[in-house]
Amino acid sequence: MLVLESACLGSFLSLDLLLFFLFFEVTLVPAYFVIGGWGYERRGPAALKFFLYTFLGSAFLLVGIVSVAFIHDRQTGQLTFNLLALSAHGGFRGGVGILLFLAFTAAFAVKAPVFPFHTWSPEAYSQSPTGGVMVIAGVMAKLGSYGIIRFDFDLFPQATVRLAPLLLTLAVASILYGAVVACRQRDLKRMVAYSSLSHLGFIVLGFFALTQQGLDGAVLEMTNHGLYTAALFLLIGMVYVRRKTFRTGELNGLQRSMPILAGVFTVAMLAAIGLPGLNGFVGEFLILIGTFATHRWWAVAATTGVVFAAIYLLWAYQRAFHGQPSEENAKAKDLSWREGAVLAPLLILIVAIGIYPRPLLDRITPSVVAIVHHVEASTSYVAPSVTTTGRVAALGGKG
Amino acid sequence: MTPLLSLLVAQVPALRLPQVDYFALLPEIVMAGMAFVTLGARSLTRRGLPPAVWTLVTMATGLASGTLAVLLGRRVETHGAFAAVDGALAVDGFSVLFLVLVSAAVVLFALAAHPWIEREGEDGAELLSLGMLSASGAMFMAAANDLLVIFLGLEILSIALYVLAALNRRRAASGEAAIKYFVLGAFSSAIFLYGIALTYGATGSTNLARIGTYLAANVSTHGGLLLAGLALLLVGLGFKVAAVPFHTWTPDVYQGSPSPVTGFMAAVAKAGGFAALVRILFAAMPTLRLDWQPVLYALAVLSLVVGAILAVVQRDVKRMLAYSSISHAGFILVGVVAASAAGAASVGYYLLTYTFLIMGSFAVVTVVGGPADAHQDLEDYRGLARRQPLLALGFAILLVAQAGVPFTTGFLAKFYVLTAVIAQGGYVLAVIAMLAAVAVAFFYLRLVLVMYGWAGAGAGAGAGAVGPVGDADAAGAGEVVLPAGTTSLAGVGAGGGGEPDLAVLGGGGGLALATATSTGVEQAISGEGLVAAPEGLAAGDGDPVPFPDATKVVLALCVAFTVVFGIWPAPVVDFARHATLLFGLR
Amino acid sequence: MSIPGSWFLVVAAMLFTVGAIGLLVRRNVLVMFMCVELMLNAVNLTFVTFARMLHDVGGQAAVFFVLVVAAAEVVVGLGIIVAIFRRRAGATADDLHMLKG
Repeated sequence: MLVLESACLGSFLSLDLLLFFLFFEVTLVPAYFVIGGWGYERRGPAALKFFLYTFLGSAFLLVGIVSVAFIHDRQTGQLTFNLLALSAHGGFRGGVGILLFLAFTAAFAVKAPVFPFHTWSPEAYSQSPTGGVMVIAGVMAKLGSYGIIRFDFDLFPQATVRLAPLLLTLAVASILYGAVVACRQRDLKRMVAYSSLSHLGFIVLGFFALTQQGLDGAVLEMTNHGLYTAALFLLIGMVYVRRKTFRTGELNGLQRSMPILAGVFTVAMLAAIGLPGLNGFVGEFLILIGTFATHRWWAVAATTGVVFAAIYLLWAYQRAFHGQPSEENAKAKDLSWREGAVLAPLLILIVAIGIYPRPLLDRITPSVVAIVHHVEASTSYVAPSVTTTGRVAALGGKG
Repeated sequence: MTPLLSLLVAQVPALRLPQVDYFALLPEIVMAGMAFVTLGARSLTRRGLPPAVWTLVTMATGLASGTLAVLLGRRVETHGAFAAVDGALAVDGFSVLFLVLVSAAVVLFALAAHPWIEREGEDGAELLSLGMLSASGAMFMAAANDLLVIFLGLEILSIALYVLAALNRRRAASGEAAIKYFVLGAFSSAIFLYGIALTYGATGSTNLARIGTYLAANVSTHGGLLLAGLALLLVGLGFKVAAVPFHTWTPDVYQGSPSPVTGFMAAVAKAGGFAALVRILFAAMPTLRLDWQPVLYALAVLSLVVGAILAVVQRDVKRMLAYSSISHAGFILVGVVAASAAGAASVGYYLLTYTFLIMGSFAVVTVVGGPADAHQDLEDYRGLARRQPLLALGFAILLVAQAGVPFTTGFLAKFYVLTAVIAQGGYVLAVIAMLAAVAVAFFYLRLVLVMYGWAGAGAGAGAGAVGPVGDADAAGAGEVVLPAGTTSLAGVGAGGGGEPDLAVLGGGGGLALATATSTGVEQAISGEGLVAAPEGLAAGDGDPVPFPDATKVVLALCVAFTVVFGIWPAPVVDFARHATLLFGLR
Repeated sequence: MSIPGSWFLVVAAMLFTVGAIGLLVRRNVLVMFMCVELMLNAVNLTFVTFARMLHDVGGQAAVFFVLVVAAAEVVVGLGIIVAIFRRRAGATADDLHMLKG
């Protein structure tokens, strides 16, 4: 686990493409062993599938990285893998830029995951142990979205602008597909896995809206998603410890036997739905505003995703926690103080960011503005400004 | 009588004997000499010495020739590359690299073969002296600067390997492997030789340097002859390095030969073949680049794709490694296609790391194989992690490294090949190579999964194998059986994980059905559904696997090399890069 | 002396082809060995012809190497055959079918 964490950290920190790739790849190995070694029944295939999918994506990434370096070398006579030097160059135009963009994005889309590349994630999420899935969904998945914002935008601004509609469509597809499939799940963990696919769609949507608000919201949503998905997986894991099942059919009336757990679950769930006052709302709201400004219909379609989120989460909650508990369910114990201590920080952050996102947004905005400027500077694209960030943030805060 | 003789002598120009620089030849001399000394000593001792003696002697020989090669490298560094024995041998960084590589392979071979020798009741001297002999052949190939010397090296290498393949007299498969290897090997040598003859006819020399200068200075009037010669040379070497479509012998021979020999064969024959290939193409025929590059491009793509696809559908571990070695050959060919100094360096580096990876892997295969190398099926590796945790861990690291995971030498090898080819603009080839690498990774990871008992494709046979263990265990299996619906879902899910996957699943399913008749439907379902081997079954399955000290050492060496130089690549990479700088390329 | 050198080359090429085809077509291992010998000797003929045409001893020297190698190859090959077929009736390659996949 620690190895996995440090590899993730390494990826986030590195400005050198090659170093990033090394860490990006190396996260696979511990994750593979975590899933394979400590997962549930079908962990073997799940681990294998997870590894191969991501490996396939990174195959393209590696070729892309090396190509970028050498094209840079040919044009400037300087062989480097340093991101800053490469993005200052800004010369990956036209067809080459689009191909390279696709190569990079393939890797990140698999890792994120975005709709057509997502098939590993429900398997991997539902089969991996609670701690593992928290890190994989909460942190590793962010590597994908981080990669998009960091490398795609910096290196290929032209291609980003040109292909934005495609990515937006994929994002909306992930949102809707994830939501609809989540509605149909009878397994709590798989449901959260699909819902997380839906939320990652929101993040990508925010990126490719290419507005300051959208990016702001997306980066914030990365944080948020890490928090409430981790909380949800953790809670479901705790339910599993007591009841040895994830299936909603066998769970009922848990609210009676463990009110505190149910309460915490409610908060995390509502955050995931995007209830104002909790962190999910701020992010999704900003993303939708940002998208609406540039790509109206995509934003409309994405909004229905929020509705679906409400449906499946409330539905699942109703089935698992409401009603008369059966005998086994009635005997289940509530949260112990140790479990509470684990959950408390997550919960506090969920509420805190929901009520007062300002400090986070203040840190996010400058870098986001820089990215938007970078894209604007190297293309003819001009980002529309609907509202100032301050007002939007205040809006989020008030709600 | 005497006047006549003197008349004859007068007509023949005085023979000019070449100046022999024995120091330049010393690594080869030590290697070949010790092979004969070992053989002689064995025939002089009546009852034979314990096998450990021969192992130690072989290791010492490998170390000695390696050290001498390094000393030679020092001399090359200070005085520059030079040709020895009238231009027949080239002593440069490139040959030093391969001399060191082959010496290392000999040391590892002695260690890996030791448990095999003791288990099979062989006396060792024969096996090891033949190994040293074939190693000396590979060294001659790597250092040769003359097509004929390459041919001689090739034959020394091959003939010794034919015998090594046949060495396990108790197994009919061993003999069969040997005869297949022999017939195809002789065929390819003859083709290679004909290629030499045609090249000689077209350029007037068999010396690589002279061919190079001739081709640079003249537009050949015998274009067709020269190209035919080049094509035949490529075919001959293609057989040796097991590139598709000349690979057909590889799986059979790898499977049939004694396991340590297979590893040695994979490492040394490939090294020799590629060293010769690179030297012929880069030193003698760089002017014909436009002619040989497309051919090698096709060979590389075919090897990568065919090797990867066929590796995935195999069930015999040695055959799988054979096909994966074909895919590796394709990867190395990608480096050759790059046709640059960086390409040659990446070839050298790849082969060096591959030597350690493959020797270590086959050391494990040797141990797991059991008497007469009988246990080679995927199922024989099930639960290896519980029977021999360290062995399984080492093997897992080597496999993951072969798959090309970062912070191992396997990744760096692939990376350098990719950079070399991308620097020359071969983007498509790079993508194909990486895709093939992912496909092969499937096979390595499945083996890791099986070893760690986390299920894997085709667990059906596993269920069959553990069936007779007992009722308690069967109950354990029952617990994890999923409802049929979920089972088929799992099948479809895993099938989506990659195309070849589906075929494997089909195979696994078929096996599961076959075992169903004898062990009960439940367990077959558990196999088909890819359910993890339940913990309860672990203790019972498979034979206990020994873990001899020699294997420990060889595994430790290989893993250490792989990981240490994966994290801290500078020394080995510099070695490889330096080697080709001296080689006289751009 | 009146026969041009290229005729020898053509004959050598034909011999080589006969050997190669024989190796691929025939099923008796001993005959396959003979085919290998035929191929090697065709190469020898080529070498000698070229040496003559180029006025260079190198090609003739090569023939000696090839002869030695051919002899060594045959010794080893026959040894392997004897080891395998000691327990079998005939030396037919089709009997070798244990290894496949």
